[in-house]
Amino acid sequence: MIVRAMDKRDTSAMNPEIPRLFDYAQHCRNRTRAAASFSEFDFLKTEGALRLADRLELVRRDFPLCLDFGCHDGLLTNHLKQTGKVEMVIQADPTFEFAKSARVNGPAIVSEAEQLPFAPAMFDAVFSCLSLHWIDDLPGLLTQMRALLKPDGMLLVSFLGGSTLNELRTSFAEAESEIAGGISPRAALMADIRDVGGLLGRAGLALPVADADRLTINYPDLFRLMADLRGMGEQNALQQRLRKPTSRQLFFRAAQIYQERYGQPDGSIPASFEIITLTGWAPHESQQRPLRPGSASHRLADSLDTIEHDPQSKP
Amino acid sequence: MTQDIDAKDTRNAADDPAQPLDSRLLAVLVCPVTKGPLEYDAPNKELISRQLGKAFPIRAGVPIMLVDEARDLETEGSQ
Repeated sequence: MIVRAMDKRDTSAMNPEIPRLFDYAQHCRNRTRAAASFSEFDFLKTEGALRLADRLELVRRDFPLCLDFGCHDGLLTNHLKQTGKVEMVIQADPTFEFAKSARVNGPAIVSEAEQLPFAPAMFDAVFSCLSLHWIDDLPGLLTQMRALLKPDGMLLVSFLGGSTLNELRTSFAEAESEIAGGISPRAALMADIRDVGGLLGRAGLALPVADADRLTINYPDLFRLMADLRGMGEQNALQQRLRKPTSRQLFFRAAQIYQERYGQPDGSIPASFEIITLTGWAPHESQQRPLRPGSASHRLADSLDTIEHDPQSKP
Repeated sequence: MTQDIDAKDTRNAADDPAQPLDSRLLAVLVCPVTKGPLEYDAPNKELISRQLGKAFPIRAGVPIMLVDEARDLETEGSQ
């Protein structure tokens, strides 16, 4: 059903009804620039990949054919394969540079999130590690991913959300309002765990689970943090960002505020990252589901060896 | 032929860009727009969507499934 509806789309990749928060072309440029030396900046991706591999370990079945969307250099697929639970993982990234380096793990393609080039119901599992926070239409993408799954196939994705980079956002906002008399978007507002949980059900996924995991990385200063974000390909790609270089004055003031407000006794500054993980399953008759009310075959009172009282009659 | 491939690519035969695309990848790939079938033109390194009238390039063994990167097919008669 879902796939048929997509057949009618015209050649434009963009659904005009989706609000555009992100400049996806800019994000892809950031990603392409990061690809050459990504392995020096992949600690966060590694954290995300280890978490997804841990989840996979807990599932008592194998996944012969899988998709890794937003694969970067193939780091996640590498970790997934180490669990011995996946066989073939097709890797997709919006940028050629990353897809090319992911080929050491197996097939890789370049693909956009809004037009996934896969036939429906082919995959045993769909994975994604720390890429989906740059997607404007997350509900639409989850629905597409759900359509790619075989019955009882698993969706297991993580992305940055919640309190991610809130110190950086606050410091820049204060510095900018002092210096420029207003603020411009510097770090994306993040999806909250409370908002994303419902998306799984909306995408038609059963047994949905959403959870968040916070980690704090200490940096010597804001400049090192910014350099890391660039190295990860995670720098500002907001549609509404200022399209001119940030002044040195603003950077220095933001660094000062960051230090004053969040600095630790040893002089380092903490940067928060929140990894949101979503798990869901393509519906299948073998899955547990609630019984219809009134369908019980045994009385609860019998099991408890007690007498059932009529709720109307006061004791 | 093999001299063209750098040391990184010889780790694994499947990683050789000169190799044809993996059959398991071809089995799941469809046109990103029409979701219709693709024809694999191995000599020309293209995946052709007749319904869309475009050919998607394969570079260094990586299919580029982006409409912006696809080549328009020459119009061949009515269909």
